Amino acid sequence: MISKLLSGMVSRRRLLGTAASVAGAGALGSLLPVRAFAADKVVKIGFLAPLTGEVAAWGKPGLDGCQIWAEWVNAAGGLTIGGEAHQVEFVAYDNEYDPGKARAGATKLIKEDGVKFIMMLGGDTWPGVQKVAEREGMLFSTLLPSDLSPDSSTLLAPAEVHPIYNVTGVEWLAENKPDLKTAVMCAQDDALGLPSVATYLAAFEAAGIEMLDDPLLFDPATTDFAPVVTKLLAKNPAIVSLDTCYSDYVHPICEQLFQQGYKGQIISCTADFYEKIVEKTSKEFMEGFIFQFPDFDDPALNGEQINFQRPNEFYAEYNKRHPGEWGAVSWEYASIMDLWKAGAEKAGSVEPDAVLAAMKDGGSGKHAFGDASWWGEDLFGIDNALVGDWPVVVIENGKAVIKGFKSIPAWYDKHGKLLVKHMEALDQMHYQRG
Amino acid sequence: MPEERRNSHSLAWLAVLYAGLIALPYALSYSQQEILVFTTINVLLVMSYRLLTLTGEWSLGHVVIMGCGAYASALASKALGLPVPLSMLIGGVIAGLIAWALSYPLFRMKGFYFLIGSFAAGEIIRLLWKRFRDPFGGPKGIKRIPDLGTIEIGGFTIDFYEPVTYYYVALAVVSVSLFILWRIERSPIGLTFHAVHWQDKLAESVGVDTRRYRIQAFVIASFFAGISGALLAHYVGTINPNRFNVEEMVYVLTWAIVGGTATFYGPILGAVALIVINDILLRELGFDQLRPMFYGLILICSVLFLPKGLESLVPRISRLVRRGNHNPSPPKVQPQEGAE
Repeated sequence: MISKLLSGMVSRRRLLGTAASVAGAGALGSLLPVRAFAADKVVKIGFLAPLTGEVAAWGKPGLDGCQIWAEWVNAAGGLTIGGEAHQVEFVAYDNEYDPGKARAGATKLIKEDGVKFIMMLGGDTWPGVQKVAEREGMLFSTLLPSDLSPDSSTLLAPAEVHPIYNVTGVEWLAENKPDLKTAVMCAQDDALGLPSVATYLAAFEAAGIEMLDDPLLFDPATTDFAPVVTKLLAKNPAIVSLDTCYSDYVHPICEQLFQQGYKGQIISCTADFYEKIVEKTSKEFMEGFIFQFPDFDDPALNGEQINFQRPNEFYAEYNKRHPGEWGAVSWEYASIMDLWKAGAEKAGSVEPDAVLAAMKDGGSGKHAFGDASWWGEDLFGIDNALVGDWPVVVIENGKAVIKGFKSIPAWYDKHGKLLVKHMEALDQMHYQRG
Repeated sequence: MPEERRNSHSLAWLAVLYAGLIALPYALSYSQQEILVFTTINVLLVMSYRLLTLTGEWSLGHVVIMGCGAYASALASKALGLPVPLSMLIGGVIAGLIAWALSYPLFRMKGFYFLIGSFAAGEIIRLLWKRFRDPFGGPKGIKRIPDLGTIEIGGFTIDFYEPVTYYYVALAVVSVSLFILWRIERSPIGLTFHAVHWQDKLAESVGVDTRRYRIQAFVIASFFAGISGALLAHYVGTINPNRFNVEEMVYVLTWAIVGGTATFYGPILGAVALIVINDILLRELGFDQLRPMFYGLILICSVLFLPKGLESLVPRISRLVRRGNHNPSPPKVQPQEGAE
């Protein structure tokens, strides 16, 4: 009743619509979410990720990317299901990276908004939603395959295989800078940091790079990184690995490395907003910095094997709307939508079970960076991660450049046992979790 | 008003309140029912915090103590296979015992020093949860915590996954807990808590062991915080150290400050009002991503314009209502016959 009263009194659409009219469809109008008023049929997609708080950098840019994706798809006629056009609309819920709020958000999106698919960041929030997913049979996606388990058949990791793709950066480093043989590592002590630590340890061992010390795990509440960096540099390493640190850590750690006179190699999973790090340090200092997430204006993304639609235009449009906000997840949720759209059109239905079957049909799928296979039985207990090639990105003259694509399954075929060994040592295998 | 009449008046109001609380979930949407469950649990958390504040001490570790209850209850049910209701009780007891152990170093401090000491103690506990993956699950915490499951009664299935059902469980537990807290406050022990806060030197001069009473308040408050943590753990099915960080503690503090702690109902008003604004109103109005800004604005306004908390509005409103009842509009005076 209260919800009805609220929606009757001031619905979101009415409020924003009125405000936009008053403003003469001016500045406020441009902020309105994309709505498909003209279409008869609308498919709603849930976006359940942190949009505020310290993890928002891995949610909000993804939603912004999805809005561009929806506009482009809707402008091109929308989704074709059984010969009929459907417009796509995103419904977002800020879960604040809290499992309880994620549960409330999932039930709202499913029971009240009628979404057909829910995209999540995953991590700490997935266990709160897991029961809802099982009960409702809803199709979910996560960016963190460490959420995958045999218990959750409707959870897919179709965009990124964090942290397994980090092996490609280390492999490239070993091939191109074979004289660098010692490393140290730091990571925040949380659900994102630990599986990544295991992956880097396996990749370094496979590449014959010696770890000079145990990985330095710092508390996520850390704000002063001077002592962390001092401890890292005490062993005089040739390589400093920043693991999968959030951008709130990568930036100050790089500043500290710069201030403490480090001149060696840095490798990291992400380098979101790296331009700001270059500004705070120097082009020379950041030269050769290796990470895993390209800018989508890179010419290498125009190759025939790339399945992401118009990556250069997407990047340009994104930067036009959200200057300086391009990050690791800006394209990822949109790339998941490409896969979901293909699955729905193939199935001739938007119902979760039909789309899931169509997406996994044949055991392969069109990943953003090339055709890939549904994989993961060994590590996650279920083949629900789409794995293929992944780019290795290096900062050259202050700009991220793709230096090549390397195959994750090929690395795993050679060194899989090492990865399992380190994952088990840190209790990160699916049968060891919680 | 004679006491008997006042009591029956209060009971009538309580009956109306509970009738409303029992009917409330049916007036809400499904996701709002979910939020109602969390609100009920948070009411117990903030009310247990209020008991501690009665002695004049403000802690920054109360949410971690809640976490102790959550972890203990989760482990008791998952690792030891104990029934969930018993595990919840164990959660409360363990939280109380941990508070008792902490009280020895912490109550060597007072005021600001106690505040900082409680924060440090809380962080140590959180680090232990992270460090010891066995049994605490490390940074990822504990998942797949057993829930209350389902009960078959006369052909009816009661499913505790459903928010309405769990809300009634939470409401019952919270009601009993609040009744006990209320009785404690009205008992000689509760009056001594007030004395320890406002007249500690005077209390000591008449033989009151103020440290002992501070410890008592801390342990009792922690027991109920532990129960609230257990209620949360068995509903959401997962807990991790981040869920009990200082950011969550700031929410509890703001509920207590905005609501006020002078009356029994003050923190309840604060928690309910701020949760409804943050998780229902602002979301429904489409300000999902702007909520932290509005939340901050509301806090500043409440501190500026309601320094004594939302609870200070209640007497004003009841005075207005009473004045309205006692001064009905004067009857029209009928002109007497023959009068000009």
